[in-house]
Amino acid sequence: MSKTGALPKAILDLDRIVHEPARLAILTVLASAEEVAFLFLQRITGLSKGNLSSHTQKLEATGYLETVKVFQGRIPVTSFRITEDGRTALRLYHQQLRSLLPKEGKP
Amino acid sequence: MTTAELEALGALTREYAAFQSRKSGLATALGGLMAILLVLAALSPNLMGADLLQRPLLHYILFVPFLWLVLKWLGGLLLYRGLGRVKAMPDERYERRRWFWILGLALFLMAYLLVGLYAFMNGFLIQKPSFAPLSPPAAWILWLPLLYLLPTPWLIRGIEEARVYAVLVAQCMIWLVPLFLFAFGARTPPNQAWSMSGHLAMTAFLALILVIQTWGALAMIRGWKEHRKYLAILRALPREA
Repeated sequence: MSKTGALPKAILDLDRIVHEPARLAILTVLASAEEVAFLFLQRITGLSKGNLSSHTQKLEATGYLETVKVFQGRIPVTSFRITEDGRTALRLYHQQLRSLLPKEGKP
Repeated sequence: MTTAELEALGALTREYAAFQSRKSGLATALGGLMAILLVLAALSPNLMGADLLQRPLLHYILFVPFLWLVLKWLGGLLLYRGLGRVKAMPDERYERRRWFWILGLALFLMAYLLVGLYAFMNGFLIQKPSFAPLSPPAAWILWLPLLYLLPTPWLIRGIEEARVYAVLVAQCMIWLVPLFLFAFGARTPPNQAWSMSGHLAMTAFLALILVIQTWGALAMIRGWKEHRKYLAILRALPREA
């Protein structure tokens, strides 16, 4: 926080959609693979089904991920894939965070 | 969530996805064990020179690669279904690097396999001239390796599929050696079976047996390690919230 009490612009500019820890984890996982099944995403992020659904819906509404639904026999299987926008947003978020962090040796 | 934690999440996903594309583990270990056992059985004094016309034996050896494929598929279905499908990111650099040598290896092995079978048939006919009316290419046995070629257009699509295909063809070659051993074992009159190929081919053949045993042992170790790694990945995943 700056001396005047106002948040630096760089912090205010952070993408709130990506900044939320659960969504950040989801996007990180999705960016590491081409397509990820719901079940795996749930286990690796440690989120409950409801929570994961709500976050993925939000990310989908923003255009950061897309849902893929296929049938394996009669069982519907839901998977997700990150979009180009999502990948760009995640990259930008990392860049912004890095620029906010103090340089090595400087507190 | 720290940067290290995020990196760990990404790494875990990549490892899981890599395993998902192969789904080997125990299947690799099983393939190695089957190769070792079959060659050992073929080399054992009791079985050497077993009559090839004992059809079940012949069928078993010829269809072992398919049996292994079925077991691999079942393993993937029952053991490694895990937590759903995670498709690995296509890595173009990796694919470019690997593509040509895997395809080259597959083609080389396929040629080796076909030449081996023709050589086998040749020796077989020397040993059993009464089967001459079935001489190549009419002999049904010669057409069987073509079964291994059938899936080619569907399999050679991606790097992992090409890898599986190369392994399959290598397996075929490996199963062919015991077949050869069964056919030209102790019952073969001296200087007859080997005369068609000469000492050089015999040395190459014996070297191949050694390679198979080594490959089998390594496959068992690698497969087991891969299986353990998969279990470790599952353990590393957080419990359900």
